[in-house]
Amino acid sequence: EDEVHVRQKVAEVDPVEEANFDQELKAVLQESMEQRRLELRGRPALNMMIPMNLFEGSSRDHHGRGIGGESGDEALDEETGGNKEVQVKVLVKRGNKQQTKQMYIPQNCSLVQSTKQKEAAELQE
Amino acid sequence: EDTVDDENYEYGKGDFTEHACRYCGVSNPACVVRCNVPSCRKWFCNSRGNTSGSHIVNHLVRAKHKEVCLHKDSPLGETILECYNCGCRNVFLLGFISAKTESVVVLLCREPCLSVNALKDMNWDLSQWCPLIDDRCFLQWLVKIPSEQEQLRARQISAQQINKVEELWKTNPDASLEDLEKPGVDDEPQPVALKYEDAYQYQNVFAPLIKLEADYDKMMKESQSKDNVTIRWDIGLNKKRIAYFVFPKEDNELRLVPGDELRLRYSGDAAHPAWQSVGHVIKLTAQEEVALELRASQGVPVDANHGFSVDFVWKSTSFDREQGAMKTFAVDETSVSGYIYHHLLGHEVEVQMVRNTLPRRFGAPGLPELNASQVFAVKSVLQRPISLIQGPPGTGKTVTSAAIVYHMAKQGQGQVLVCAPSNVAVDQLAEKISATGLKVVRLCAKSREAVSSPVEHLTLHYQVRHLDTSDKSELHKLQQLKDEQGELSSSDEKKYKALKRATEREISQSADVICCTCVGAGDPRLANFRFRQVLIDESTQATEPECLIPLVLGAKQVVLVGDHCQLGPVIMCKKAARAGLAQSLFERLVLLGLKPIRLQVQYRMHPSLSEFPSNSFYEGTLQNGVTVNERQSSGIDFPWPVPNRPMFFYVQMGQEEISASGTSYLNRTEAANVEKIVTTFLRSGVVPSQIGVITPYEGQRAYIVNYMSRNGALRQQLYKEIEVASVDSFQGREKDYIILSCVRSNEHQGIGFLNDPRRLNVALTRARYGIVILGNPKVLSKQPLWNSLLTHYKEHECLVEGPLNNLKQSMVQFQKPKKIYN
Ligand SMILES: [Zn+2]
Ligand SMILES: [Zn+2]
Ligand SMILES: [Zn+2]
Repeated sequence: EDEVHVRQKVAEVDPVEEANFDQELKAVLQESMEQRRLELRGRPALNMMIPMNLFEGSSRDHHGRGIGGESGDEALDEETGGNKEVQVKVLVKRGNKQQTKQMYIPQNCSLVQSTKQKEAAELQE
Repeated sequence: EDTVDDENYEYGKGDFTEHACRYCGVSNPACVVRCNVPSCRKWFCNSRGNTSGSHIVNHLVRAKHKEVCLHKDSPLGETILECYNCGCRNVFLLGFISAKTESVVVLLCREPCLSVNALKDMNWDLSQWCPLIDDRCFLQWLVKIPSEQEQLRARQISAQQINKVEELWKTNPDASLEDLEKPGVDDEPQPVALKYEDAYQYQNVFAPLIKLEADYDKMMKESQSKDNVTIRWDIGLNKKRIAYFVFPKEDNELRLVPGDELRLRYSGDAAHPAWQSVGHVIKLTAQEEVALELRASQGVPVDANHGFSVDFVWKSTSFDREQGAMKTFAVDETSVSGYIYHHLLGHEVEVQMVRNTLPRRFGAPGLPELNASQVFAVKSVLQRPISLIQGPPGTGKTVTSAAIVYHMAKQGQGQVLVCAPSNVAVDQLAEKISATGLKVVRLCAKSREAVSSPVEHLTLHYQVRHLDTSDKSELHKLQQLKDEQGELSSSDEKKYKALKRATEREISQSADVICCTCVGAGDPRLANFRFRQVLIDESTQATEPECLIPLVLGAKQVVLVGDHCQLGPVIMCKKAARAGLAQSLFERLVLLGLKPIRLQVQYRMHPSLSEFPSNSFYEGTLQNGVTVNERQSSGIDFPWPVPNRPMFFYVQMGQEEISASGTSYLNRTEAANVEKIVTTFLRSGVVPSQIGVITPYEGQRAYIVNYMSRNGALRQQLYKEIEVASVDSFQGREKDYIILSCVRSNEHQGIGFLNDPRRLNVALTRARYGIVILGNPKVLSKQPLWNSLLTHYKEHECLVEGPLNNLKQSMVQFQKPKKIYN
């Protein structure tokens, strides 16, 4: 109802600012990596927490909504510029419990593309 | 106490949310994340705005913070982002991987989990690790980018501002962006602009100006103590004590108005202990006597009459409400519609029409028939989200406004809010709107409830008292008890207040139209009301922040009525005035290209009197809705130099003097001649209420009042009944005959107040039947506008000198006008 069309000035990002910011971002990343390596030195090998059997029996609800107790209930966001979205489950931990939450991600995201490709490949076999 | 409600009320709470982005204010839960560093915990959004990285990424990089938490209302719920495997929370190291065959994704850190061999054989595809921060933004499907509309309405923060505020947070984590902009004590404030980036910038400009004005006002009012005041005691109908005393108006700018709060003190004597009480001014008589209704009636030394002191109690309410309105305007997206928001800030918005069915007739019941320009104004206004109506003197602004409000109310979009800066104007409008048959509630400040009003039956407090006066009504019973005893027991008082509040709400909600002053629109009693349609009359006499108060209650359609060719708001603080606080919103919108709709037919002045103002101030567009015959002063024998042209400029050569206070001027010769003219009018059959004497200077005003009562040739009482006032206080009013005393008569100094063309316009357009101007043409003619006024009078043989009973054309030479530099 309250739609308004503002003739916008094109916000130009200052290239110098952009370059500086990029550099700082890289520095933070680098520093994070190094810090992490230092922290991990001498620690025992990791326990694998990622579940292997999570998906058994769930594939039939694959595209349905409302899997699990706490699925997200947000509506499909249509404003992604014509890009279709697919539903994924995000695996998160609440304390020690694992939970999945549904989300929509753009189809052209590298994450889903690989899955799709493999699904397609598997179907062909 | 009656005012407690107001004092504890926090203005401008708006819809301020804790999780608003600390850079830009966006507060959509799907778009924000909280920095999870314990000392920080600030929220930021995922929009880039004008910078290369999104706000949250900007913050994390600048502050070297690395952990975040999602909002509880976001799709994932309140979640600290961490590696599913090892719990690492450094967002710069995190990314998603997906299962090989399922649509399941999980967060995993780059180091070490992504390179752990054991994972590789499992169900997870590690080759497509997708970093959480990509292209200097959080993944958009995890933390949404605010919509274009949301971003447009947000604060437009620059990379430089981000750097500055991050720097400031290192020493003061609670600092706000506003702290960056605060001017130093001695700095000249930032001047007002034509356009503003966003509502925050707007607030940054106006907040310091309001502060300056508030400080000045406080300083001035609190210095107004008077000692040795003599009191006359009385009791009001509501059993409250009333103190009457004279509070002489001096040459300063302070003017007491009903509703002002004063403190009355008595230092005590042998028979009385020291005492003091606060009260509200409920009445001011022409003799400058003040009626003060005291709040507490206990212990009042009513048998003492002399030796009291009076102080002014300064209230910050109006300034608080202005500041609050600006804050609401910035942080609450629902405060005004998007269109109004961008238009007020001077952004270029595509013209929008309001889709409403137009009425078949544009007049309204109970109002006079509208003329063509009034019909055009009503019709245009109803179709536009924002419009300006310019109403030159006597063109029927109030009737037009009432017709607009009538049609708006009939559109069924909810209640209409009608405001004006002054109580007088609000009362006039309320009366006219009520005449159309609409249900009107006039909301008064609590401090003014005891002040008499011509529209008392429309006021909320009156309606509350008279809603249900049956014996069964609990409220009525308590009210009677309170009236009889003066006060109630604390439990009864509580009950009374709750009942009163509920009744107030009930009555206000059932009204079609709420009328109050602009500042009154910030009353806590309206806090939960929403008004899509707002009309502000006299809007050219309000400051911008004052105008904003009624607008931020949800305005989608706004009508500003006024006349920017007459006087603007009064700003006492020179610094604030210089910075542009005296420019009204109406004027700025005109400068931005919004064309006012002008009412063109004037019904006040004799056609001879409207000619010069029309040509000089309204491009000659003012038409006369009254004929010469209708403005003939029949039976009045007054020596007009040209019959049928009831005007003249009376040449005066007397010197100006500086008044006793040293801050104003007076002119004895002019005052003496004013008395002679007044006497001539009175002798010819004009009654005192038909005459108004106006002058730009308070010194001259006081001198004329005094002179006439001492030297008037007729009964003293007649002169007392004649209104003598400043030009400024006469704005919006009219008299049959006006005598204007210009005062200034000095070869070397300027003409001060008279220099403002808008003041001259107001002075010239108050009279219905006739005008006499007293002044020194030699001095006045240096100013171009006065020069053309004098030439106009001379050409019409109305520039005269000599005794009143033998006026002769004056041959006085004018000076060349100075060029105007603008
Ligand atoms: Zn932080
Ligand atoms: Zn932001
Ligand atoms: Zn990890």
